[in-house]
Amino acid sequence: MTFLSDIAHLLITADLWRATLEAAALLLLPALGGVISERSGVVNIAMEGMMLTGAFFAVVADLALHNPWLAALVGIAAGGFMALIHAVVSIRFRADQIVSGIAINIFAAGMTLFLVNRIYGLQDIGHVGQSNLLPYVNIPILDQIPFVGRVLFQQNVVVYAALILLVLVNIVLFRTRLGLRIRAVGEHPQAADTAGINVYAIRYGAVITSGLLSGLAGAFLAIGISNTFVPNMTDGRGYIALAAMIFGKWRPFGAFIACLIFGFGQAIYDANSVIHVSQYLLSMLPYVLTLIVLAGIVGRSIPPASDGIPYSPGTE
Amino acid sequence: MPSTVRHAAGGMAVPIGSVVFAFLVGGVIVAATGGDPLSAYAGLLCGGFGLACANGENTALQLSTTIVFFIPLIMTGVAVALPFRAGLFNIGAEGQLLAGSVACTVIGVKFNTLPAPILLPMVLVGGALAGALWAGIAGVLKATIGAHEVVTTIMLNYVAQWLVRFLIVGGPLQLPHGFSVSSPIGAGARLPTFLPNDNSLIIFGLPAGVYRVHTGLLIALAALAVFAFLLWRTSLGYEIRAVGQSQRAARYAGINVPRTIIVTMLIAGAFSGLAGAIQIAGVDHNLSDKFFNDTTGFDAIAVALLGLGSAVGILLASILFGALHAGGSVMQADAGISSSLVQVLQALILFSIAANFLRVLGGRFRRRPAAPASQAPGAALMTEAAKAPPGDGQT
Amino acid sequence: MSTSARDSNAVEMRGITKAWPGVVANDHVDLSVRAGEIHALVGENGAGKSTLMNILYGLIHSDSGEIVINGKSARISGPRDAIGLGIGMVHQHFMLIPVFTVGENIMLGREPVAGPGFYDHSRARKEIEELTRKYGLRLDPDARTGDLPVGLQQRAEIVKVLYRGANILVLDEPTGVLTPQETKELFVVLKGLVKEGKTIIFISHKLREVLEISDRITVMRRGKVVGHLITRETDEQAIATMMVGRAVLLRVDKKPATPGPVTFKVENLTATSDRGVPALRGISFELRQGEILGIAGVEGNGQSELVEVLAGTRRATGGRVLLGDQDVTAASAREEREAGVGHIPEDRRGVGLVLHFSVAENLFFGRERSPAFAWHEIVLRLRAILQWANRLIKEFDIRTPSIETQASALSGGNQQKIIVAREMGSRPKVLLAAQPTRGVDVGSIEFIHRRLVAERDEGTAVLLVSAELEEVTSLSDRIAVMYEGRIVSIEPSGTSEERLGLLMTGGGTGAGAA
Repeated sequence: MTFLSDIAHLLITADLWRATLEAAALLLLPALGGVISERSGVVNIAMEGMMLTGAFFAVVADLALHNPWLAALVGIAAGGFMALIHAVVSIRFRADQIVSGIAINIFAAGMTLFLVNRIYGLQDIGHVGQSNLLPYVNIPILDQIPFVGRVLFQQNVVVYAALILLVLVNIVLFRTRLGLRIRAVGEHPQAADTAGINVYAIRYGAVITSGLLSGLAGAFLAIGISNTFVPNMTDGRGYIALAAMIFGKWRPFGAFIACLIFGFGQAIYDANSVIHVSQYLLSMLPYVLTLIVLAGIVGRSIPPASDGIPYSPGTE
Repeated sequence: MPSTVRHAAGGMAVPIGSVVFAFLVGGVIVAATGGDPLSAYAGLLCGGFGLACANGENTALQLSTTIVFFIPLIMTGVAVALPFRAGLFNIGAEGQLLAGSVACTVIGVKFNTLPAPILLPMVLVGGALAGALWAGIAGVLKATIGAHEVVTTIMLNYVAQWLVRFLIVGGPLQLPHGFSVSSPIGAGARLPTFLPNDNSLIIFGLPAGVYRVHTGLLIALAALAVFAFLLWRTSLGYEIRAVGQSQRAARYAGINVPRTIIVTMLIAGAFSGLAGAIQIAGVDHNLSDKFFNDTTGFDAIAVALLGLGSAVGILLASILFGALHAGGSVMQADAGISSSLVQVLQALILFSIAANFLRVLGGRFRRRPAAPASQAPGAALMTEAAKAPPGDGQT
Repeated sequence: MSTSARDSNAVEMRGITKAWPGVVANDHVDLSVRAGEIHALVGENGAGKSTLMNILYGLIHSDSGEIVINGKSARISGPRDAIGLGIGMVHQHFMLIPVFTVGENIMLGREPVAGPGFYDHSRARKEIEELTRKYGLRLDPDARTGDLPVGLQQRAEIVKVLYRGANILVLDEPTGVLTPQETKELFVVLKGLVKEGKTIIFISHKLREVLEISDRITVMRRGKVVGHLITRETDEQAIATMMVGRAVLLRVDKKPATPGPVTFKVENLTATSDRGVPALRGISFELRQGEILGIAGVEGNGQSELVEVLAGTRRATGGRVLLGDQDVTAASAREEREAGVGHIPEDRRGVGLVLHFSVAENLFFGRERSPAFAWHEIVLRLRAILQWANRLIKEFDIRTPSIETQASALSGGNQQKIIVAREMGSRPKVLLAAQPTRGVDVGSIEFIHRRLVAERDEGTAVLLVSAELEEVTSLSDRIAVMYEGRIVSIEPSGTSEERLGLLMTGGGTGAGAA
């Protein structure tokens, strides 16, 4: 019975839910990136690599510049740069987008490790000082609300940003002209092209945006949640974001719900001293859940019609 | 005959060009970060093939290391290449390999007293079955409800990885009082090495026990032969290729497309699972934290693509990547260049072969490439419907 | 149609040339279209009509040539330029996004916005309503496009083009997918548009429609323009001769049929189309050994589905199919083939062949597990395959450099001969031949026709489905006419084309269709 009461006790702690939201926000950023990229018709399984690159360069920049904001910008740009490679290879050269994505992930893992070695010699890259981390910001007054205040309004600045971006991406995709065009390009690029829309421009923009968002997530991980870079520190989070995107049926809020579920798993994992389920079994959860969704048990998840198909004009 | 040769040479141009491209860019990266590309590559060459060694590394030992590395690459390479032919992208070779390793370990530990003639087949078949099962999940999901195999195999990879951690870190397979290590498999479950494990015997200047080339090599070569035979000489292989070229045509011909997809994935998974079992039975003899960071199944994607999906190509590409892996540590020790450069090179090869830079850059450099001539080899192997040439289907 | 026609050309294309590897799709093509006319561009499949229009619309770039729009030389490097010049195109395959609403599809690329880039639904709706009222094209802008019948989707395409301010409308085979009723409505719309001052280029290979709707005609054959005609001064025969390059009446020498016993029996067969709507509404007929039963009908009246059900690639929802005494209603494609049903599918490149397989591999496609070609369904008998391929190549005069050549490298006619050889070579009891000569050269057409008759004479029961009425009438011993998923009548071989045409469009039986 202590097990159940332990769980009950855990579930009513605000800290668990705060951690859930934080972990969810970390996944949400690359998941939103994935939604944007794939809505435009470019499969992106490279959020993992883009995050990792963002994390690395954010730490390097922070250690050099002692400014978390600039460091975050550098991390975002680094993620965007990796996305640019993916875009050029898969749009301009019409490469297989999955191969390109795998290459990005391998490249990021190898390159960051290689650079750690070249720049810092030993594998200890050093730690970012507390004052140079992306700050946790309490929202005045609101943070005093019992329970809710702790969960929602005592978060890292990136968490707020992620939530704002969630709303923004949703509005852009489904309420604006730009969103209509992005979705058109992802569903039927020929139709978009004949309507005078620049398919390539939209796809480049969407893929690079996914990199920027993933880069931000990497920066958040390295100089917000953590304070240093560890090789392969993303540890599959980019792939969980991919899972969240599918789980959420290529919709921002759907992906967010998936991120919350996965984030909850992460929070439980972190609070593992209280409940005694194997952390490793818990870690499987996002992947197993996604398989279940894919198996159609919780309703089908259908990607945009032209997702993953390179566009070449003049062919039908 | 000359035309055949020319054709083959033309086929080799893309992979060779990709490797050259990767090494050039890799060299630039090394130089740009203040390293010496030549000494780095000398280190790789020494580590991979025992050639041009600066610090007197033993050639035979380096070759033996390379061989040990490329054995599982061959088998997982086949596990990626076969589904390519059916139009399926198996990213799950890694998970399938882990499943095979786990099964081999479980059986090898549980029945550790059985003699080799019984136990060895058991662990190998068990590994193959486990791999087949793991891939079969993705196959069934693809064949029955169309769940994309790329996504399902990615998810299955992670499930397998966490399963391994669960099993050997405080889980049921953990060696009592050990950490992140399973109990060793029984002696009867081990694949013999070619050289006796007898350190009093000196071969090529070193005790025989250090050469770890094991009989799994024969299994891997046999797997390649099976792969080629299956693909080109059997009804099933014919059907697999037909499904990969055009599912509509395959359906017209009366080929059971879902069944073919499932069978393809089962066979591919069996190859991967067998690779995992061989790794345990031939090299490691237990499941350890080393498998947490194993990338064989991902390297296999590069192997299959670089090898253009052919048996000979897979063999050559496996040798290359095996040598790179073996060379990485020597490069790090001798030239002070991180072995992670190997990963960078591998990614560059993938980019290059996927984008087919050479063909696109050679000749038709326009803003809007008109014809899908620059089809990536991976895509060419896996396109569902055979792409109609431009102008076709247009009155 | 003013007297100063020379000065009022809306479109002038001069010396347009476009070559693909291996084919010249357009060879110094000249086209002039007067403002305010309906100009038909006709030619067989593959004559280069769509290529020419795709060049006009900027989707394909010509290798050489000049385009003049409304008297001004134009450079069209993409659809955007074409739209800017007032050119709109309704593609053969609609450029519509099924999951978007009609309104969103129409607006795409020129969306009305409110505030900082928000899509303005109410303004979009208002503008569409104005347009549809002006041209008498009723449409619900909020309907999901993919749910609409084809005729309405096409209407949405036309409105989309008009919304972009097009004065020159290109319609690529617009009637191919329409029912006769929808075609009639389309023609009313087109005439209305011309009255409003629009210019229309109408691509078709259906001569009756061309004669009905157009003012002038440009005829293309094999990438070249072979004639400019004025519609009211010409007739079907003259155009057809130009299109094909010789007198078209394809006489097939054949003896009267000597039909044997009934070998294939279809009873009250029903099936649905890919989109889930009923495609076959109770088909019944009998097929005897040694006869050719032709199926005539406007494309899209269930012929494709009928053949697919009989060949085992589409499931029947009701009814029965008997081959001899054997019930093959639910048989799979493999079982049908093994039971003796040969099938020449209508889609040669996408279905009948694996283009990247060699000629030899294609010649035993579908029989890779039969005892003749495989040992216990496992190992292929390469020698038997080789012999078989060599025999068929000789017997069916397949022109190929070698048996190892990829099918994709062969001409359309020779590709089709591979299929014909394969399906006839295994001595079927029943042969389903769907559009057996579509898009192949005249020599191959004659060859295939002769083989079909020879097959009949050897006692095979042949079911021939063709969109070319002439092919049906010249080959068939009896002709079944399909309309809206039913066989409305089975006519004897001498029936006039007028009567068949009437039946094909739902007339002539008195009963009509529901």
